[in-house]
Amino acid sequence: MRTRSTWGRSDALIHARLYDGATGHPHEVTVAFGPSSIRLTQADGWSEEVDSTALRPVDGGRSDVRLGRRDRPGWRLILPPDAAPNVRELLGREERYGRWIDRIGLVPALVAGGVLTASVVAIGYAAPHWIAPHVPMSWERNVGSAIVGDFGDLRCRDAKGQQALEAVVERVSPGATRGPDGIKVAALDVPMFNAAALPGGYIVVFKPAIVGTDPDALAGILAHEVAHVRRRHVAEALLREFGIGALIRLMAGNIGANAEQLLALSYTRQNEAQADADAIRMLRQAHISPRPTAALFRRLAKEQEQHLSMSAEFLESHPLSGGRAQRFAASFDPTAHYQPTLTRDQWDALFDICSKRPRRP
Amino acid sequence: MDALTSAAAAEEGRGIEFTGNWREYLPIAITNALLIICTLGVYRFWAAARQRRYLWSRTHFIDDSLEWTGTGKEMFLGFLIVMCFLIPFFLFFQFLFPALIARGKGEAAFGVIFLFEIAFIYLGGFARFRALRYRLSRTYWHGIRGGSDDPGWNYGGEYLGRIALSLMTMFIAWPWAATRLWNARWKAMSFGPLHFRARLESEGLWRRWLLLYLAPVGFVVAAMSAGIMAAGAAKTGSPPSAGLMAIIFALAAVFYIALPLLTLNWYAKYFRHAADATTLGDLEFSFDATTLQWLGLFLGNLALAVVTLGFGLTYWGYRNWSFMVRHLRVHGVIDVSQLTQSTTHAPREAEGFADAFDVGAI
Repeated sequence: MRTRSTWGRSDALIHARLYDGATGHPHEVTVAFGPSSIRLTQADGWSEEVDSTALRPVDGGRSDVRLGRRDRPGWRLILPPDAAPNVRELLGREERYGRWIDRIGLVPALVAGGVLTASVVAIGYAAPHWIAPHVPMSWERNVGSAIVGDFGDLRCRDAKGQQALEAVVERVSPGATRGPDGIKVAALDVPMFNAAALPGGYIVVFKPAIVGTDPDALAGILAHEVAHVRRRHVAEALLREFGIGALIRLMAGNIGANAEQLLALSYTRQNEAQADADAIRMLRQAHISPRPTAALFRRLAKEQEQHLSMSAEFLESHPLSGGRAQRFAASFDPTAHYQPTLTRDQWDALFDICSKRPRRP
Repeated sequence: MDALTSAAAAEEGRGIEFTGNWREYLPIAITNALLIICTLGVYRFWAAARQRRYLWSRTHFIDDSLEWTGTGKEMFLGFLIVMCFLIPFFLFFQFLFPALIARGKGEAAFGVIFLFEIAFIYLGGFARFRALRYRLSRTYWHGIRGGSDDPGWNYGGEYLGRIALSLMTMFIAWPWAATRLWNARWKAMSFGPLHFRARLESEGLWRRWLLLYLAPVGFVVAAMSAGIMAAGAAKTGSPPSAGLMAIIFALAAVFYIALPLLTLNWYAKYFRHAADATTLGDLEFSFDATTLQWLGLFLGNLALAVVTLGFGLTYWGYRNWSFMVRHLRVHGVIDVSQLTQSTTHAPREAEGFADAFDVGAI
């Protein structure tokens, strides 16, 4: 029953202050610690026994020890500091870092948390790569057409130019524009040098990327974007985007910055390298010389050094690693019979695709 | 125990005192920082609860210390609830805006952004109110807590309206809006049976506000006249004089040093007036931090973070709290036997909104 050691300390009555939680008036009480409860007594004879299961330690200052009651918010018993051993004996240690962490200990919690965090980051980064190929193309198409629509007034709608643009895609990837999952390529009248693959098999080329290049280099650019679509890099980037950075966007709004959002999806370096490798292969199969593409990349790299703003956007979404132009240049085969991508007439039509843009009513 | 007086009076002294010290807080700061890093930031709610338990328990108000009873769990849940509400909202705009741009509907896109901003401001005001209400409801003194019966939806509307009105005056009228909002916020709050009252007026605040407001205008005028002088010098073919360069340099310095200083200058006075104008029952408050003291706080925070390679960030909350408490004074008498328990609804959702919108309570 009552062991000697327990009663040894609690025999001494401890003077304490009690707030009953009903008013802020402090009551002077004496406290006797029992093995599983405390007894409070007031000078006027009032007395109450409180079971230790109803009690919890409350973080007090340095100058006192505090107990609260689980069933009565605001009920506080304020004991002098020397009552701390009695309280610890009755209730154990107070909560420190949080219940779970207290249970397993700080260091194991830190280790477990570190491992968990590292794996979450790793999975968040790697998982889209595994999942993307299994996302049905129709889902991606729905997302894409919801976002993209028909581009409204931005789109250059010249019929002959459009035919020529599709002809470039067909040259590098025969049959790519046909079928329900066919690639839909559009020229946009936006004054930036850029091209991009968007969700749902859309590829957009901005006007400067047409009028500032030649047909073969344009074929190189489009082959790269076709590879992004084919390899499901777009779905992968979408997954990554919505997995991690969805909330941060859209806060600052000027239209230029937000038009860029169309292209904000970024690919990993491996994806870019893979798209380049595919593009080189497509050019070879189509008998298109890779040299103009290499020359274009070289020119863009030089412009980047000189900070010419025209190509800044393109370079941001298609980082020019040192060997990129070289890889295209190295794929040049002196024995091959390269043929021009487009006829003269086709290129003329494509060149003018944005110049006679009919305004929609 | 001579604490058994029915009326505790704030006699001589400040009435409120911070008794913590940084060495005592160090173990909390270190373990909080480590746990936050190791949990991808999830622990920050529990870290905030631990920090507040410490700061509140080391704050002596009249005759007893404060007590923080909020928990990390409830703050985390509050955050999750708010995210359930905000994520669909953000996703909707995330899709709608590019979709409108891609269809060439720039005006509609701007309309959407406009609506978004309005909702954002409204929720920002709402969040500020709820954060204050939550903090009072978790603050105990003499076993009594504070709170508010006002859910704060109307305050969000008032916040939006006053910001819109002061926007119409190009924010010249901001002191008017800020003081009215302070009053509206605090009048809705109570502690036990006692209501906070706030009668903050914009009188006496205008000079500092106009100083801050007009400084950029003065800067532009000065920069333009410097530019004209430079152009004049260029026309005569003489190289720009050293004097002119000095003027341009001085202008840049003024811009980067004077503007933050003028901002502090305004806030220092604003807070002193605000504390003076706020009462709780028969208790009155005053706040005596000067512009230079505020500057010391901010520079100290900055230096601490830089010198400790970022670890000092964990002391910002500690430093800010102790600064506020050290400069606050409480006058008057409170009758603790009349101080009955608060009947206000104790909100459960913690301060998720404030957290999401990154606004402070005061």
